[in-house]
Amino acid sequence: MKAATKSIKLLLSLILSLTLLLTACSSNGGQGADSDKNSEGKVVIDFWTFWGSEIRRPVIEKIIQDFNNSQDKIEVKHTYLPFGDIWTKNLASIAAGKPADVIINDINQVAHRAQNNQNTNLSKYMEKDPEVKDRFFPELYKASLYKGEPYALPFNTDTRMLFYNKDMFKEVGLDPNKPPATWEELEEYGKKLDIKNGKNYDRIGYLPNYKMGAEVWMINADGKSYWDYKKEKPIIDDPSNIEALTWFKDYYDYYGSNVINKFQAEFGEETADPFISGKLAMTTETTNFFTKIRDYGEDINFGIAPLPAKEPGKSQTSWGGGFVAEIPKGAEHPDEAWEFLKYLTDVQAQEHWAVKGFDNVANIEASKKAAENPEFSEDGKMVYTASVKNLEETIITPVPLQAPDFTNLINPELEKVLLGKQSPKEGLKKAQRAVEQLVKNNK
Amino acid sequence: MQTNLQKNIKRQAPNKKPKRLFSMNQKEEFQGYIFIAPWVIGFLIFTAGPLLFSLYGSFTNFNITSSLSFIGLDNYKRMFTNDGLMWTSLWNTLYYVAISVPLTTAGAVLLAVLLNQNVPGTRLFRTIYYLPAVLSGVGVYLLWMQLLSPSSGLVNTLLSWVGIEGPSWLSDPAWTKPALIFMKLWSLGGGMLLYLASLQGVSKSLYEAAEIDGANVFRKFFHITLPMITPIIFFDLVTSFIGGFQIFQEAYVMSDSGNGGPANSLLFYNLHMWNKAFEVFDMGYAMAMSWILFIIILVLTVINLKLAPRWVHYDGEDRK
Repeated sequence: MKAATKSIKLLLSLILSLTLLLTACSSNGGQGADSDKNSEGKVVIDFWTFWGSEIRRPVIEKIIQDFNNSQDKIEVKHTYLPFGDIWTKNLASIAAGKPADVIINDINQVAHRAQNNQNTNLSKYMEKDPEVKDRFFPELYKASLYKGEPYALPFNTDTRMLFYNKDMFKEVGLDPNKPPATWEELEEYGKKLDIKNGKNYDRIGYLPNYKMGAEVWMINADGKSYWDYKKEKPIIDDPSNIEALTWFKDYYDYYGSNVINKFQAEFGEETADPFISGKLAMTTETTNFFTKIRDYGEDINFGIAPLPAKEPGKSQTSWGGGFVAEIPKGAEHPDEAWEFLKYLTDVQAQEHWAVKGFDNVANIEASKKAAENPEFSEDGKMVYTASVKNLEETIITPVPLQAPDFTNLINPELEKVLLGKQSPKEGLKKAQRAVEQLVKNNK
Repeated sequence: MQTNLQKNIKRQAPNKKPKRLFSMNQKEEFQGYIFIAPWVIGFLIFTAGPLLFSLYGSFTNFNITSSLSFIGLDNYKRMFTNDGLMWTSLWNTLYYVAISVPLTTAGAVLLAVLLNQNVPGTRLFRTIYYLPAVLSGVGVYLLWMQLLSPSSGLVNTLLSWVGIEGPSWLSDPAWTKPALIFMKLWSLGGGMLLYLASLQGVSKSLYEAAEIDGANVFRKFFHITLPMITPIIFFDLVTSFIGGFQIFQEAYVMSDSGNGGPANSLLFYNLHMWNKAFEVFDMGYAMAMSWILFIIILVLTVINLKLAPRWVHYDGEDRK
């Protein structure tokens, strides 16, 4: 027995010394990264993005390079993490106390992260640079507040608009310069543009539930969908939503899910995109869709318009999202990070991002300048100008703090509605009850 | 104990050799520990540690960054009284296990018996049927998504040749789980291989004796073949039960953005748990869910083990 204990003791001491070695290594490595200054005496800050594609990466790296060259105190180091990993890694690194200094993150969850101590309150910096907040579209800036204080700066955004094929409009006798302005017109034009082939279709004018679900039409109708941000409660089953879903569902049923499933099965990417290959005459997409037409559908004579309104004269509200730049909680160099945040959201960087990536940005002035940029083609200018105008009527729907995963409860009910298993009213009522329950649980 | 005893005896014996730091036995023992150390350390750090932490975490509102306070049984209470999706996901998982486990087991046995016949080309067929078991993961699921595509997929095209209009497999909630089970049946080969090996171990003399007694093919199958391979069937059942409850990847890959398919029809228990843990970072709750799954599997495995003596036949064991 004694012999056994002896060897176990020895083993233990060996393990301990090994672990000591390991921790020594890691703290050594840590110190390397921690060191405040690089060889030139600049403070090095770590910037995490998920922009690693051929298109995005050079653009963000050019912005970083410009920033690094513009001053001699801070050096930004870019770390690319795949979209699937970045949030989890961010959380783990915050928990471990060694997060990035700046990270690109989802605009819809800024407040949620603020509530959970995952990002840094920027109000102390904002007080020093009060003009910063005026550079953004107000809807985007609003989405980066938690309890009235900023926790992030909006970087880029998007908005949904109607793309339509002008040649097809002419072909069926519609005015190519008069896109549908109301839901009724959308449906009327859409059905006129259909080309039937037996039970199935060769072309569909407008396909409900392709790229854009019922919830955007709910927003389009009255500027609200599932959540009342002022009263902080779900309004899923309010009459306007039921009306929108009923319209949507009726339009969907005009084709029926069988026909639609079959039709959609042939949709693809690039030249097989349904709008580009001529299977759809109208489609509602984020305005970045223009780059696909530019790259794969050169001959398409297309027009762009705001989403049709529910009734004549009503608002043509659209829905958007986007990303913010923020400082994770516990970042080592928040002051330097703030300098970089300011640069990222300033006119020069934002215009560069907008033009090179054909993406909508949060900075108003940069948006307007980008629309005039000579690098854009005629079509590019037209689309970009329209998108910037559309942003003024675009709404962001941040996740409610009381029910962060509420769409998991709502979407299945909507799917059942579309499948005809329940009426729109029933579905929305059920979703409302489920979300109310969730809110109660989370209190 | 015996070795220890021997050691003690040795030590008591008079011994005038120069004292060494370790005796031979001690040295060997120490080396043994060294050899298993990588596994032991890995187990303690990467398995036992997280396991214990998740047990503790399941009683907290842990969300990685801001909270880790003890909330007692709240997570468990919420799961059973307030989370409708938990029941949906549990039902989906039970449906899947209850149908796919018997089907795959019976299918694998049948296939193995067929491939155990002495006909020309058997080896080729064995290889062909085993191939799908080699392929696995995301690639296969993507392939099946194409095969199951409602209008252009191979499955529905084949069905249309015999005049059946195939369902829209992965977009109709009534058909998603059958589609998944159907897909799983394709990779029977793994189980088949086990059965094939055990079939070849069944003694020929048993069959000869039965033939002399005039038993037909079915009697031979039910009274000799099946009883003789019950240990393997039992093993296969237990492991597929456990595997069945852990189904996750298929649903994650084959439903839009991993949300659990049309009308939650593919929201399996593990997928729901994953969403809770890594979509909304409600870690405490997800940990509680994982322990409930552990208990469910544990109970079922114990039941399986208890039932085993009634039908599993081990060679050389007397029937009581």
